[in-house]
Amino acid sequence: MIMNQIHFLRRILVSLIVILIASTCFGLVQARTTESVSFLMAAPFADATQDLVKQFNREHRGEIHLHVIKGPLETEAMSDLAISSLLLGKAPFDGLLMDVTWLPKYAAAGWMEPLEGYFKQNDVDSLATGAREGNSYNGHLYRWPLTADMGLLYYRTDLMEQPPETPEDLVEVSQSLQKKRKVNWGYVWQGRQYEGLSCVYLEMIDGFGGDWIQPDDNQIGLNLKPGVEAAAWLQGLIDQGVSPKAVTNYAESEALQSFKVGDSAFMRNWPYAWAELQKSDSAVKGNVGITTMVAEPGRSTATLGSWGLTVIKGSEHVDAAVEAIRFLTNDSAQKQLFLKSGYTPTQQSVFDDPELLQQSPILAEFGRALKVVKPRPETPLYAQVSDVLQRQLSSILTGEQTPRIGMDRATSNTNQILISAGDRP
Amino acid sequence: MIAFLLLPALLLLLVVFVGPLFRYAWLSFHADSVVTGLIAIPNGGANWLRLVQDQRFWQDLGQTLRFSGVSVGLELILALMIALLLDQRWRGRDVVRTLTLIPWALPTTVMALGWRWIFNTPYGPIDHFTRMIGIGSLNILGDPHFTWMATVWADVWKTTPFAALILLAGLQTIPVDLYEAVRLEGGNAMVCLRRITLPLLRPYILLALLFRLAQAFGVFDLIQVLTGGGPASSTESVALYAYWNALRFLDFGYSATIIMASFILISLICVVAWILLQIIIPTHSKSQAVVEP
Amino acid sequence: MTLQIQNLGRRVGKQWIVRHLNLQVDNSECVALVGPSGCGKSSTLRLIAGLDSVSEGEIILDQANVTHAPATQRAVGMVFQSYALLPHLSVKANLDLGLRVRGVRASERQQRIQAILDLVQLQDRSEVLPAQLSGGQRQRVALARALLRDPDVYLLDEPMSNLDAQLREELRPELRRLVLDRHKPVIYVTHDQHEAMAIADRIAVLHSGRIQQVATPADLYHRPETLFIAKFIGRPQINCFKPKDGAICAVRPESLFFANEGLPCKLISREWLGSSQLLYLDSPHGSLRLSCSTTMEIPETVHVSWHSSDEHHFDATTGRRLT
Repeated sequence: MIMNQIHFLRRILVSLIVILIASTCFGLVQARTTESVSFLMAAPFADATQDLVKQFNREHRGEIHLHVIKGPLETEAMSDLAISSLLLGKAPFDGLLMDVTWLPKYAAAGWMEPLEGYFKQNDVDSLATGAREGNSYNGHLYRWPLTADMGLLYYRTDLMEQPPETPEDLVEVSQSLQKKRKVNWGYVWQGRQYEGLSCVYLEMIDGFGGDWIQPDDNQIGLNLKPGVEAAAWLQGLIDQGVSPKAVTNYAESEALQSFKVGDSAFMRNWPYAWAELQKSDSAVKGNVGITTMVAEPGRSTATLGSWGLTVIKGSEHVDAAVEAIRFLTNDSAQKQLFLKSGYTPTQQSVFDDPELLQQSPILAEFGRALKVVKPRPETPLYAQVSDVLQRQLSSILTGEQTPRIGMDRATSNTNQILISAGDRP
Repeated sequence: MIAFLLLPALLLLLVVFVGPLFRYAWLSFHADSVVTGLIAIPNGGANWLRLVQDQRFWQDLGQTLRFSGVSVGLELILALMIALLLDQRWRGRDVVRTLTLIPWALPTTVMALGWRWIFNTPYGPIDHFTRMIGIGSLNILGDPHFTWMATVWADVWKTTPFAALILLAGLQTIPVDLYEAVRLEGGNAMVCLRRITLPLLRPYILLALLFRLAQAFGVFDLIQVLTGGGPASSTESVALYAYWNALRFLDFGYSATIIMASFILISLICVVAWILLQIIIPTHSKSQAVVEP
Repeated sequence: MTLQIQNLGRRVGKQWIVRHLNLQVDNSECVALVGPSGCGKSSTLRLIAGLDSVSEGEIILDQANVTHAPATQRAVGMVFQSYALLPHLSVKANLDLGLRVRGVRASERQQRIQAILDLVQLQDRSEVLPAQLSGGQRQRVALARALLRDPDVYLLDEPMSNLDAQLREELRPELRRLVLDRHKPVIYVTHDQHEAMAIADRIAVLHSGRIQQVATPADLYHRPETLFIAKFIGRPQINCFKPKDGAICAVRPESLFFANEGLPCKLISREWLGSSQLLYLDSPHGSLRLSCSTTMEIPETVHVSWHSSDEHHFDATTGRRLT
C-alpha cells in the first residue's frame, strides 16, 4: 500500500521534472526568436480574452508572444496580488488590467509607464466620450480602456411603460407596485459597506445636484444639501420599505438574485447583469429594460467603473505591450468581447456599428449611459476617502446615525485624510 | 552539540518570526505611504500618537476582543462536549471523528461565502426558518446588532473541531483507572468531570485557548468575505483595519503600527488568559507542603 | 458478610472472557485469584466491582443480589495495580474526595482521614502529591482510600506488582493485618503464585476464564487438580515425565533425592538459591530439576529416586488428575 503510494509519488515527481525541463527548453527556443510579453488579469477577463490572445499570437508569430497570467476572481483579491508583486520591486508581468479607481494610487506610487507617447490625440478621439475618463493622472496617460462599465438602473418592462426619472418617481412607482402586490420590493441596490456603496451614492449625490469632491475648488460636498439629501433618500428607501432592510448587506450578487427571481421592480447594477437576466433561469427574461439612474431633471449620471490595460514601469517590452494593447482594444476585438461576454465597448465606432446594433439593440442603451458617466474622485487617497464614506453611509443606512451627522463626519474625516497627506493647505 | 543541532531551527525562527517583527517595529516609527512615494521617512512617534487618538482603532479593538472572547469561549465549551462524546466508545465513532474535522479543513473563504448565503435575507435558509416559526426576518447580516453574532457563529462552526481535536488528544492521556476509582468511591459523572477531567485536561485547554485566542484576534478572511467589516463597521477587526491600511491605502507606516500594537496586546491577553485559567481550574490542591527529601 | 459468585460469565463479542465461575468468600477470608496474564482474573474483579457488565450468572454480596447494580452503588473497596490516585490532589485530598462525595460531614472526614493516615503511617505525608511519594507509600494511600470506603468487600488488583521484591515481602504482613482486621471478604488478584500462597487463605486458579481449582495453598501444592496447576504452583517447577499409557507422571523437584540406585542422571548445571540449590539433570526420561541442600557435594553422575506417594498422575489429554 505504502509502496504503491511511493511509486505513484515518484512517477508524478518524474513527470513534473520532465515537463519542467521540456517547457524550459521550449521557452528558451521561443525566447531567441520572439519577444515575450505578459499581462496580469482577473480570472474572468483572462477567460474572456483567451480567443483574442490566441488570435494575436497567431498574427504575431515569430515577433511577439502574448501571455495572460490568470489572477484571482475578485477585484479586491486581484488588487492585493498586483500590489504585493509591485511592492517587491520587479513585477513578473509587463502589463496589468486595472480598475478605474486604482489608477491615481498606482501612478502616485510610480508603478506605471506613461503611454501618451504611444496613444495620440486621434486615438483618444476615437473613444466614446465616457471611455475617455479615468485613464490619466497628473497630465499623463497611463491606461487604455478595454471595457467600459457604468452604473445602470434596471427596471421591469412588464410592470411599467416608462422607467421613472426622478427619485420621487421611483419611490412612488415602487410603492404602488408593492401595494398591488406585484413585487415584494421596489428597489434593490448595493448597500453593503464596500466600494459598491460609494458607487451608488455617487450617482445620487450627482443626481441631487451635488459633488462628492467639487471639481472647481476641490471642496468636499458630502455635507452640503445634495450630499445629505442623497444619503437621506437612500436611508428613506429602507425606512419606507421600498428596499429590503437586508439591502445593508447587499452587494451586486444579492441585488441580482432578488431582481432575477422577480421580487423587485428596480435594480441598480452594472452591464454584466444584463446577460445574467437573459439566461433561461431568469424569471424576468424579456421583461427587463435599462436606463440611467434616477435624478433631478437633467442630472442623471452613471458611476464609471471601467477596466483598462496599463504597462508596468521598468518593463523591457513596452513596445510589444502597446502592440498587444492596441490589438485587444481594437474594434473587432471589442465586438467579439461584447458578443461573447457582454463587455461594454469603449470605441465610439463600435457603438455606431449598425449591424451590431441590430443584433443587440441593448448596445444603444449602454452607449447612452456611457455618455453620462462620472468618475469617482481621482486621488491617490481614493481608497481612504471612499472607505470613510462607506463607513458613515453604512451607519446611516442601519439607523445608527442621522444623514446630517453622518455626512458631517464623513466630510471632516475626508478633510483630515487629505490634510494629513498634504493634499490640502 | 544540541545547541548546534538547534541552530537551523533558531535561524528559521529568526528569519520567519523575529525578522518581520523588528521590521514592523522599525516601520512603525516611519511615514511610509503613497504620500511619501513609498519611501520610509522617520516621523518619531507620530504613528503611535495617531493610533492612540484613532477612535476607529479602539472601536475595532473592542469589536475584535468581543469577537475573540465570545467565540473562543463558546468554542471551548462546545469542543469539550464534542471531545467527551468522541472519547466514548460507540458505533460509528471513527466516522464521526473524521466528519467533525470537515469544517476545519474547509478554506475559510469558501466557508464564509457559504455562510453569507445561509444568512442571506430573504433567500437564505435561516431567514426561511425564522419566518416559518413566526419570528420574522432577522436581517442577520444587515443589522449591526446581529451581524457580529453571525461572525462569531461562523467562526465557532469552523474552528470548534480544532479545539475538540486538541482536547480529545488530552482526554486520551487520562488513565481510565482514575475514573473507575472515583466511581467506586461513589462519584457520579459530574464528580468525574470536575475532579478528574477538567483539572487533568487543563494543559490542553490552555493550549487550545491560547492557539484559538491568537487566531481569533487576528480574524481577517472570514470577516472580509462575510461582512466586509460592515454594516456600520460593526464587525471590522483590527487585522482587517491593518490590512486595509497596507494593501488598500498603501499606508505601510501606520499599518505596521497597528500590527505592532496588536502583537503587544495579544501577548498581554494570552498572559492574562493563562493566569485566569490557573484561577478557574486549579491543578493542585491549595495547601501543598514543601517536598521532603 | 459473604461474597457469593454463581455461574458468573462475561462475553465480549463471541468470546467468553470469564465463564462458569463459582466462588464463595467468607468474612475475614482472603481468596487469591491467580493465573497467567489474560486468564480472566482481573476481569473477574471488575465484574465484582461493577466496572464491567455481567453476561450471565449472579453476584451476591451480603445476601443482596448486586449483579447489575452500578459501580457507584456497590460497597466495594478496590486497590488498583496503578493505585489510581488523582495526580493533581494531595494525599489528604485524594482520601477526602470519596468521603465528601458520600456526604460525610467535614469534621468527621477530618477525623477519619487522620485516623487512617495514622494506621498506614503516613501522618507526615498528608499534604504531598502522589508523585512525591515512593511506590510503597502510594500503595498505602490507595489502600487507605479503600479502607476509608468501609466496603462490604475488598478487591485488591495486583497491589504489589509495582513494588520491588523486598518491599513486597515487608508489606505483605502489613497488608494482611490492615485488610483482614476489617472482617470482610477479601479478593486478592495476583499473577505471582508465591505471593498468593503467602497471603491467601484459599487460592482460586484461573485458566482461560475458568476456575480450575479452589483450595488452600497446601492442598493446591500437594493435590493439584490439573497438570496446569501442578506446573503453575510451586517453584522450582514440577518435573513432568513423558506421557506413558495416556498418563503423565509428575514429581516436584524437592521430592527427588539421591539414592544408590534409581534413575541414572548426568549433572548439566546448577543454580544457587541460598538455602538450597537447584540441579539440572539429564535423565533417560528427559531433563529433571532437583532441589537439595547446599551442603551436598554433587558428582558428575548421580542416581535419583523418589517415593511413589510423591508422584502426581494426570490424564495426558485432559490434564485432569488421576487418582
